[in-house]
Amino acid sequence: MRSETFGRELAAIGALGLLLLVLAVVAPSFFALSNLRDLALDNATVLIAAVGMTCVILTREIDISIGSQLAIAGVVAGLLFKEGLPMAGVVPIVLAIGAVFGAFNGALVAWGLPSIVVTLATMTALRQGLRWSTQGEDVLGLSGGFQWFGLGQEAGRAVIIGIALVVFSGAAWALRNLAAGRALYAVGTDAEAARLLGIPSRQVVFSAFLLLGVLTALAGILGAVRFPQVQTGTGMGFELKVIAAVVVGGASVSGGRGSLLGTLAGVALLGTLGPALTFLKVSAFWEEALQGAIILAAVALEGIRHAPGGSPARPRGSQSQPKAA
Amino acid sequence: MTRPWRHETIVLGLWIAEVALFSVIGHNFATPGNALEVARISTEVGLLAIALTPVIVSGGIDLSVGSLMGLSAVLCGMLWRDAGFSIWTSALVAIAAAGVGGLLNGVLIARLHLAPLIVTLGTYSLFRGLAKGLTGGVETYTDFPKEFLFLGQGYLGGVVPAQVPIVIAIAIAFWILLHRTTIGRAIQAIGFSPDAARYAAVPVGRRLGLAYLLSSLAAGLAAVLYVARVGQAKADAGTSYELMAITAVVLGGTSIFGGRGTIHGTLLGVLAIATLQNGLRLADLPVELAGILAGALLIGSIALPRLFSRKETS
Repeated sequence: MRSETFGRELAAIGALGLLLLVLAVVAPSFFALSNLRDLALDNATVLIAAVGMTCVILTREIDISIGSQLAIAGVVAGLLFKEGLPMAGVVPIVLAIGAVFGAFNGALVAWGLPSIVVTLATMTALRQGLRWSTQGEDVLGLSGGFQWFGLGQEAGRAVIIGIALVVFSGAAWALRNLAAGRALYAVGTDAEAARLLGIPSRQVVFSAFLLLGVLTALAGILGAVRFPQVQTGTGMGFELKVIAAVVVGGASVSGGRGSLLGTLAGVALLGTLGPALTFLKVSAFWEEALQGAIILAAVALEGIRHAPGGSPARPRGSQSQPKAA
Repeated sequence: MTRPWRHETIVLGLWIAEVALFSVIGHNFATPGNALEVARISTEVGLLAIALTPVIVSGGIDLSVGSLMGLSAVLCGMLWRDAGFSIWTSALVAIAAAGVGGLLNGVLIARLHLAPLIVTLGTYSLFRGLAKGLTGGVETYTDFPKEFLFLGQGYLGGVVPAQVPIVIAIAIAFWILLHRTTIGRAIQAIGFSPDAARYAAVPVGRRLGLAYLLSSLAAGLAAVLYVARVGQAKADAGTSYELMAITAVVLGGTSIFGGRGTIHGTLLGVLAIATLQNGLRLADLPVELAGILAGALLIGSIALPRLFSRKETS
C-alpha cells in the first residue's frame, strides 16, 4: 500500500521536476528570487486549504463548499477590522467562524448524509448568503493594520509563507506519527474495520471537516491581508483547485490513500503551471486546459496500472449507507 | 418502500406550495406569460438535469457538463463566423463535439474504472480551459442570424417559447429510456451494485458509457439553445450550471449513491428551483434567498427520509 501511494507522489514530483527543468533551460529568469517568492505567496493559501482537504479526502469524503467559506472569512475579517477590532481579535473570531462552518458540514456528514450533497448545499447557501449581506460590494479602504497585518510588505510576506510552512510540516508530521493521523487512514480504508478496532469513525470524519473549516478560514485571512480590499466574489472555483492539487498529489478519492508530501507536490505542480506558461510565452488562457489534462493523466496512470478486473469506482459518500430504501 | 411518501410527491407538494405563495405575494406571478418565461429560463439547466439523472442513477456524477456548454458554444460561434459554415451545420458539429467530450468521460470511467468525480473534475477544467484557450479568453461571437435566434427568443404561434417543445421531447425520450427500457433497468441495476449487474450479464461498461455520452450531448444541445437565447457565444457559457443541475436532480429525489431516481422527479426539482427564483424576484424579495433556500431544501430533502426511517447505520 505504501509503495502504491509513493508511486503517485513520485509521478507528481517527477512532472514538477520536468517542468522546472524545461523552465531552467528555456527561461532561467523564472528562478529569480522575487518570482519564486510571488509563486510561494500565491500558493500559500492553496496549500493551507489543501492540507485540510487531504485529511477530508483521506476519510473518503469531500468538501466543495470551501470556496464560499474562503470568501466569507476574508470579507468578515475585513469588516471586523473596519469596525475597529485589532487584528489580534479579528483572527480568532474568523477562525472560530471557519470552525462553525466545518463543524456544520462535518456533523451532517458524520450523521450519514453524503458529503458531496451536503457541501454542494452549503456552497450555494453560503455564497448566496454572502452576496445578500454585502449586496455584492467589496470591502474597501483596508490599509494600515489590516494589510500585511500592519507589518509592512516584506515581513507580511514572510509571515504568510511561514504560516503555510508551519501548518504543512505540523500536519505532515501528525499524519504520520499521531494516532489521530493514522485514524484518518484507517477510517478511509474501511470505516467498519476501523470501528471494530475501537476508532470512533464518525468523530474522525467530523474532526477532519472541522480542521478543514479552520484551515480554510486561515487561508481566507492570509489571502485577504495581501490587498487593501476584500472582494466578495473571491474563492469561486477555489474548492476545485484545491481538490485537483490533492488528487494530482496522489490522494485517492476512494479514501485511505495519500500523503501531504504528495499534496505539496500537487499544489506546486498546478501552481507553477500558470506562471510557467507566461515564461514559456504561451497564452495564459491555456492554463486551465493543461490543469485538466494533468488531472486526467494523473488518474489515468493509476487506472491503467490497476485496470483489469476491478469494479467501476463508486461515488463517494458515507461508507455503509444503505441504498435508498 | 419504507418512506411514508414518495420523494416526488413531496417535491410536487413543495412546488405547489411555492406557486400558491407567490401567487399571493408576487406581482404578475400567476400569469400564463410568466409560467412560460419560467420554462424558458430553466431550459438549459433543465436539459442538463434531465440528462444527468441516468448518470447519477448509475452511481456516477458528471461535473463537466457546464464546461462542455462553454466549449460547445465557442465551437458553434467559431465554425459559423470563422470557418464559414452555415449556422445549423455549426450547431450540429458543436453538439457532436460535445459528444466526443462525453466519450472521453465514458472511456475513462467505464473502461479504466476511474472515479467519475475525479474524471469529470479533470474534464471540467479541460473543457473550460479549451474554450478559454481557443478564444484567447476574450473573443465573443454575436450577430447570429435571425432564424437561429428564434430558437432561443421566438414564440411558436406567438405564445410558446420555441425551445420548450424541444425540452419536452427530450424529457419524454429520457423518461422512456430510463423507466421503460431494459437499458434504463440496467442503469438502475448498475447504480445499486455494479458487480451484481455484471453477474446478471448487464454490459456495465457500455451502459455507463451511454449515460455519459447522453449527458454530454445534452450539454451540447443546451449550449446551442443558450447561445440562441442570449444571442452570444463566449467561453464562460454555462459556468456553474452543473451545480444547479445536480442540485435539481438530487432535490428531485435521485439518490447520489445511485440506483434510485426518476426523470419526472428531476423535472419537478428544476421547476421548484426556477419557480423559487422567479417568484422571489416578482415578490421584490432578494434573489439570493433562492440559493440559501435551495441549499436548505437540498439538505432537508436528504435528511428528512433519514430522520423518519430511523435506521441505524453503524
